[in-house]
Amino acid sequence: MKAKTLVIGIGNRFRGDDALGCILADKIQTLALPDVEVITHSGEPASLIDLWQDRMSVILIDAVSSCAEAGTIHYIDMQKRGLPDSFRSYSTHAFGIAEAIEFARVLNKLPPKIVFYGIEGKSFAATEILSPEITAALEDVETRIMQDIKETIDA
Amino acid sequence: MSKGAKTKIIKVDYLARVEGEGGMYLKIHDNKLEDVQLKIFEPPRFFEGFLRGRKYSEAPDITARICGICPVAYQMSAVHAMENAFGLRVDGPLRELRRLLYCGEWISSHTLHIYMLHAPDFLGYESAVHMAKDHQADVERGLQLKKIGGEIMSFIGGREIHPVNVRVGGFYKVPTKREMQGFRATIERARDAALETVNWVSTFDFPEFEQDYTFVSVQHPDEYPMNEGRIVSNRGLNITAANYDDHFEEIHVKRSNALHCVMKDGHQSYHVGPLARYALNFDRFPVHVQDVAKQAGLGKVERNPFRSIIVRSIEVLYACEEILRIIDDYQEPEQPFVEITPKAATGYAATEAPRGILYHRYKMDEKGDILDADIIPPTSQNQKMIEDDLWKFVPQYLNQPDETLRWHAEQAIRNYDPCISCATHFLKLDVERS
Repeated sequence: MKAKTLVIGIGNRFRGDDALGCILADKIQTLALPDVEVITHSGEPASLIDLWQDRMSVILIDAVSSCAEAGTIHYIDMQKRGLPDSFRSYSTHAFGIAEAIEFARVLNKLPPKIVFYGIEGKSFAATEILSPEITAALEDVETRIMQDIKETIDA
Repeated sequence: MSKGAKTKIIKVDYLARVEGEGGMYLKIHDNKLEDVQLKIFEPPRFFEGFLRGRKYSEAPDITARICGICPVAYQMSAVHAMENAFGLRVDGPLRELRRLLYCGEWISSHTLHIYMLHAPDFLGYESAVHMAKDHQADVERGLQLKKIGGEIMSFIGGREIHPVNVRVGGFYKVPTKREMQGFRATIERARDAALETVNWVSTFDFPEFEQDYTFVSVQHPDEYPMNEGRIVSNRGLNITAANYDDHFEEIHVKRSNALHCVMKDGHQSYHVGPLARYALNFDRFPVHVQDVAKQAGLGKVERNPFRSIIVRSIEVLYACEEILRIIDDYQEPEQPFVEITPKAATGYAATEAPRGILYHRYKMDEKGDILDADIIPPTSQNQKMIEDDLWKFVPQYLNQPDETLRWHAEQAIRNYDPCISCATHFLKLDVERS
């Protein structure tokens, strides 16, 4: 039986702020929430779409670089719209999340609720250290994600 | 810090993605094509620089980072070049596992190109997502097939992108026979999907266009080439990888950060990749794969680059068949790797990446530290060939509107599945008319 809620952290742990999707997933994982599965993922579209099936709610977390202020939290309800083009060209995944979402939309495979938390990164250099702005934003993002999860559980 | 150590700063002002960014420039004067330029900014040369001073054992993991789509090719060329240098031969189940890993990459990479990048060209769609609205079952099949290719890479390589389980001499960990058998049903499904793919792409309409290519590929006496063999051409070339530099030359052209490759004899372009492999190794396919190719309308040699999509689909089918064979024959090796004793030496290897020959050369000192490295990826080798195709193919469309011209020219470039095409809209077309 699949967990009702799936949290997916996406990114590269060794490329600076790109790691934040994985770091947040790790933090949520430690809470061992009921009916919530937490994973990290490379962003490969077909397996993402498979993972979304039979879920009530999917939460995607990834770093973005769209020229906004570092630490800005972009929240997108993917049932209503796709990822903006400004996110796509800066993804570390040439063929990944944005395509997975659009394929799933066309193929009628989007879950009832699917949201994207994109946190504006500052540095994607080869390091395991986050920028201070990103570290400062982590708690806020986690709080918002936890609220999302709670709403799904309550529903 | 040891005595004599120096601080080294490597500054890269423009770090392009490995998939790269490219442009195309066409100059048309009096309705005549006057100039064709494929512009590429590709960074593997930087890798050669920072390989210097690193351990021989680091080469597979460092070079895998050159490409997110075909990291296995870089790992395979690296390990074979190192083993060539140190006089080591890896055989038996370890050799088979390497072939299995490569099959996974061929399936994943080819399927990405067939379904997501190339098929929309033939069916008249802006992208695979647009195509999915009208071809739902086909796109779902492509997604599933690509996923299975990735699963094989994860199964043997530890993860799909930049696998971590490959080492010089073999692997860090090998699967059990039972684990291998557990994959069989999945691969049988993949084989069915691969056959359906052949049937699907062979129904496309293809532009009438052929060139008398010089095809170059690896050739093995008994098997369709992946990891091992001599480098041969349809013009009589037959050499080992150690002689590659005697016959091929890299030249710099202003418009490209990737060096163009030409044959030293005559400075002509040459063609690497699926069409070349197919033309030079057709009889290495099992008979039933040959039959499928014939039924799909292919001869033993295919010179229309637009039909490379059919050849790729045949190679995906073959890769599935080959995986099933490897699974059935597999015996767990006693050790996951063969021990290496480094020595001062130079090693060479050419393996068949999905896009064609990937050549590696490394020179090591007596401790196995890398003194010099040379890496020549297939996209570099095909650059001049792509321009030559455009010179011949584009003139028939010169009277067409720019958008139509662009469409056909982009499609001609994508025939080669260049790494730069990983981004859907990679081309910026400048048409200068006077």
